[in-house]
Amino acid sequence: MSQFDRHSGCPFHRRTDRSQTALPPADTPAPAHRERRRFLKGAGLTGLGLGLGGIGLSGTCPARAASGHGQDVTSAPQEQDAQLRYPFHGEHQQGVVTPRPATGMLVAFDVLARDRDDLERLLKILTERMAFLTQGGRIPERDPLFPPPDSGILGPVIAPDGLTMTLAVGASLFDKRYGLASARPQRLQRMEGFPNDALDAARCHGDLALQICANTLDTGYHALRDIIKNTPGLLMVRWKQEGTVPPLPPAPGEVDGSARNFLGFRDGSANPDGSDDVLMDELVWVGRDHDEPAWARGGSYLAARIIRNFVERWDRTPLHEQEMIFGRRKMSGAPLSDSTAEGREQDVPDYSRDPEGKITPLDAHIRLANPRTPATEKNRILRRPFNYSNGVEANGQLDMGLLFLCFQADLEAGFITVQRRLDGEPLEEYIKPVGGGYFFVLPGARDDNDFLGSGLLAASA
Amino acid sequence: MKTTRQWIATGAFALLPLAPLTALITAPAAQAAVAPEALVGPVADYKLYVLDNLEQLVSHTRDFTAAVQAGDVEKAQALYAPTRVYYERIEPIAELFADLDASIDAREDDYEKGVEDPDFTGFHRLEYALFHDDSTEGMEKYAQGLMDDVNDLDSRVQGLTFPPETVVGGAAALMEEVAATKVSGEEDRYSRTDLWDFQGNVDGAREIFELFKPLAAQEDAGFVERVQDNFDDVEETLADYRLEADDPSAGFESYDRVSDADRRALTGPVTVLAEDLSTLRGLLGLN
Ligand code: HEM
Ligand SMILES: [Cu+2]
Repeated sequence: MSQFDRHSGCPFHRRTDRSQTALPPADTPAPAHRERRRFLKGAGLTGLGLGLGGIGLSGTCPARAASGHGQDVTSAPQEQDAQLRYPFHGEHQQGVVTPRPATGMLVAFDVLARDRDDLERLLKILTERMAFLTQGGRIPERDPLFPPPDSGILGPVIAPDGLTMTLAVGASLFDKRYGLASARPQRLQRMEGFPNDALDAARCHGDLALQICANTLDTGYHALRDIIKNTPGLLMVRWKQEGTVPPLPPAPGEVDGSARNFLGFRDGSANPDGSDDVLMDELVWVGRDHDEPAWARGGSYLAARIIRNFVERWDRTPLHEQEMIFGRRKMSGAPLSDSTAEGREQDVPDYSRDPEGKITPLDAHIRLANPRTPATEKNRILRRPFNYSNGVEANGQLDMGLLFLCFQADLEAGFITVQRRLDGEPLEEYIKPVGGGYFFVLPGARDDNDFLGSGLLAASA
Repeated sequence: MKTTRQWIATGAFALLPLAPLTALITAPAAQAAVAPEALVGPVADYKLYVLDNLEQLVSHTRDFTAAVQAGDVEKAQALYAPTRVYYERIEPIAELFADLDASIDAREDDYEKGVEDPDFTGFHRLEYALFHDDSTEGMEKYAQGLMDDVNDLDSRVQGLTFPPETVVGGAAALMEEVAATKVSGEEDRYSRTDLWDFQGNVDGAREIFELFKPLAAQEDAGFVERVQDNFDDVEETLADYRLEADDPSAGFESYDRVSDADRRALTGPVTVLAEDLSTLRGLLGLN
C-alpha cells in the first residue's frame, strides 16, 4: 500500500497530464528528482519566475517546470511568483491536482438563469472569464463616464499569480429547472449532516461552486468580483469561505514539508501523490471504469466542509494527548508508528505490529481515516484544505478552522466512507463542522471553442 | 404568466462570450454626448414628480403622526407603509440632505446602541414601537420630530436646483437600495412591509428612466428595451404579492410570505437593472 504514498514514488516521470503538455517533454532519466529539487533550492532557483524560466531548465519534468514548482499537492507553498500560470484548457480542470498555493476560497452560488439557454450562456461567460483571469493580461479600457469593466484592484495588467479557478456543480442544479436530471452524476447528492455536525443553512450547498486559489487573496478576490460583475441576473452568491496556508521559505537541503493547520499539525503528509497520473485516474478523476455518465469523465467529486476548530481549548490540551488524537508527532509530523527518534513526516504509518493500538490508538485520526488495509485502499481521497479565520465568536473565542476540500472519483467510497469512519473520533471534541456541500467538478474545457459543462448540456439535450 | 425575456448579462464582457480576448482590449469609445439643453425638460419634469410626491409625503405623514400622537396603534400601523412609499420614491433627492435622511429614515443598525440609541429617530423608530412593542408610549416626541423633518425636507427641496447627474444617477441609486436592503428584507424588519418600499424604489427609478428614455434610445435602443423588460419583470413578480390585483393602494403581503425562490427571482432582474442603470449617466454623456 505504501507504494502510493506521495513521498515514495517518483512523481515527475509518470506524468503525462494532457492539460499541461504545452511544453516539449524533457528527456530526463527517472532517478533522484528529489535530489534535483534540493539542488534547485540550494541554488536558489525555485523563486526565479519559473513560469517562464522553467522552459529553459532542461532536466526537470515538463509539467512541473511549466508551472514553476516542484511541490506536491499539499506541500507548504514556496512559489510566490506573480507570473506563475497554469494552463486553463485540458482534459481536467486545474486546481485539483495542482499544488496548493498560499490562498484559496470556495464560493457557492445559486443559479438564477431562467432556462437552459440562460444556463448555457452562464457557462460560456464563466468559461471565458476563467480562461482570461487565469492566464492574465491587460484589462480593457472604457469611456471614463462609464463604470470601469474591471474592479481595478490589481491594476491595469492582471498577473496570473498562480490563479486557478475550478467550477463544480451541486445536486440542486439537477432539479427540474434546466432538464439536467437524466445526466446527473450517479453519486452527486445533497450533503447530509454527520453526527458531530452543526450545519448552518446559510453556509451549505449551492447550485454551483467555484474554487479560486492563488498566491495572494487579492488575486482571488479580483477574480470573484470579475465573475460577479459579468454574470448579473445569472448568479447569486450563496456563501463563501476563504483560507490560507502558511508558506515556507525555501529550505536548502530539506525535503518539502506539508503546511501546518490551525491545530499546529502538518496537514497533507499522507496525501496520495497528485502528480501520479495513474493513481489520480484511479482515485480522483472519473474515468471509464467508474460507472458514471460518459460526459462526466475527466471530472471529480468535491467534498467541501467548513470545520470550526476550538483553538483555545486545543491549546489547553497536553501535547501527548494531541499527538494521540492525530496519531502523529506534532513538530516533525512523523507517524507515531515510527519509533525512531528522528522520525520524518514522510515515513509511512505502519499498524501491522500494533493491532491493539498501543502505539497508534485505534481511534487516532489518521488510523481511522486510513486504516491502511487492502480493503480500504479504494477509500483514499486527495485533500486540499485551507485554514480559515473569520473573526470572533460571541463568547470571545476565535472563529478559526479548516476549509476542508477533498477530491475523489467516487464520493461515496471517498469522503462519505472516510467521514463515517471518523464519526465519533476523539478529535470531535475540538472541531465542529458548520457548513459545506458536495459538488461535481466538471471535466475541463478542451480549447477555446469548448466551454465548461458543454458535455453535460449535450448529454441531457 | 411570464413571457420569456432577455433580462440578462449586460456586463462589459457578457455580451461577448468566448470572444477572443484581444477583441476586448479596445480603446475607450468616446460617447456622443447628449446636448445639455436636451436634459432641461426631463429634469424639470422630474422636479415636478418629486414635488408631487413630497406633497403626498407631507399629508400622509400628518395623518400617520397624528395617529401616533392619539395613541391609535392600529391606525398608525396601517398608515406606516403607505406613508413611507413617497419617501422611498424620491430617495435620490431626499438623500442630498444627509442630516434629514438620517433623522427620517435611518435604521437601528446605523447606531452603535441600536434601538436604545438616543439619536435613533424617524420612521424606523416608530416602526419599532408600533410593530415590536405594539405601543405608542413615549412616541409623541418622535412623531413630532418626524413631522418637522418632513416639512423641513419639503421646503428645502422647493428651492433646490436639481443637478442632472444626480437625477439621472438616481435611477441606479434606487436600484442599489433595492439590491442592498430590500431583497434581503432588512428595511422593515418589524412591520415586514418591505415590499411597499421595494415598489417605491422601483417606481422612483422607473420614473427617471421613462423621462430620459427618448434620449437614451437615441444612444442605444437595445439598452432601453432591455431595461424596460427588466422593470416589467420586477413589477410582475411584485404584483404576485399584491393583496388586491386591481387596487395598488391595498398594498402587499408581509415580506415573511416571500419565498426563497421568489427572492432569487427578484434578485436576478434587480441586479441586471442595477448593472444596466449604472451606465445611464455615461450613456447620456453626464459626469
Ligand atoms: C478540522 C478538521 C481536520 C483536521 C484538523 C485534520 C488534520 C489532519 C492531520 C493533522 C492529518 C495527518 C497528516 C496528514 O496525513 O495529512 C490528517 C490526515 C488525514 N485526514 Fe484529516 N483533518 C481534519 C478533517 C478531516 C476530514 C473531515 C477528513 C475526511 C473525512 C479527513 C481525512 C484525513 C485523511 C484521509 C488523512 C490521511 C490519513 C492517512 O492516509 O494516513 N480529515 N488530518
Ligand atoms: Cu522525477
